[in-house]
Amino acid sequence: MHSEYDSLGESGLQFFGKVSASIAHEIKNVLAIINENAGLLEDLTFAAQKGAAIDPDRLNRVCLQFNKQILRADEILKNMSRFAHSVDRFEGQVDLHELAVLVSNLAGRPAAMRKLSIVVEPPATPIIAKNNPFLVQNLIWLCLESAFGATTAGGTLRLAAERNDGRSGLRICGIDGLTEDFAAQLPAVCADLLDASGAKLIVDSVKKDLNLVLT
Amino acid sequence: MRVLLVDDEEEFVTTLAERLTIRGFAVEYATKAADALVLAGKNVYDIAVLDMKMPVIGGLQLREMLERQHPEMKFIFLTGHGSEDDYRAGSTGAGYLVKPVDINILIQKMKEAIEQ
Repeated sequence: MHSEYDSLGESGLQFFGKVSASIAHEIKNVLAIINENAGLLEDLTFAAQKGAAIDPDRLNRVCLQFNKQILRADEILKNMSRFAHSVDRFEGQVDLHELAVLVSNLAGRPAAMRKLSIVVEPPATPIIAKNNPFLVQNLIWLCLESAFGATTAGGTLRLAAERNDGRSGLRICGIDGLTEDFAAQLPAVCADLLDASGAKLIVDSVKKDLNLVLT
Repeated sequence: MRVLLVDDEEEFVTTLAERLTIRGFAVEYATKAADALVLAGKNVYDIAVLDMKMPVIGGLQLREMLERQHPEMKFIFLTGHGSEDDYRAGSTGAGYLVKPVDINILIQKMKEAIEQ
């Protein structure tokens, strides 16, 4: 087919791959903690069989750890499921806040690796755009990835869905290293994604804001 | 055997440390590289078990820093499964294990590393 299709397909697959790998890593960590706590129970049981006393508080802490990790895994898998189903519809009503929450959750580990936090601020009323959910997610992800590289460790990125001049958009604030040529530093496929989703990117290097404007 | 465990997953590293302590190892742990370097500045360890992926300073980089402090220290890496990390960790000559870890295999790997 033509190059635009190819680049969108390639970018989409890379996006899917990165998110899947990150989720797999998170699940591995959850399993590792459950595994160690199960092992500790075995150790304590073995010690009890040899006559040692079991501390009920220690057992309780293990149980709490199991519960905590189950909730953590459940949250990871809920996000994974939402993400996987985002390709079900080619076009539809997209709630930008919900989408921003999902992508920020998926980007939580890459952000943590750079010692960055992401906060998604809820809008007063839902901010809806008619678009392709997966393309918009891919755009937000690429913007966040680049924002990570332009933000000092320890910083917080704030995402806010908003509606201005009849257009819905997502503002990413707190990119302290944001410069006018930020858009030029984004991966080349961003231009194709912006074109395909009818979006544009506005850089405000004074306020240190990046605004992804949809229809 | 004196062991330094470093992993940013606190619940993992504390429980593994407790289990190794039960088995007679002298274990200290850190959840970030900077704290590990402080510990290594004050104490001597026979072996360090390092998570590959940690915020800011990963396992491979931390190993280089620890080796400069203690050239005789041995290393084992903990990695995610199927990632490039496995190959990178293996290529350093250090042992590596994929999470979740079988503690008996970890102990065996630690002993092998020390005997090398």
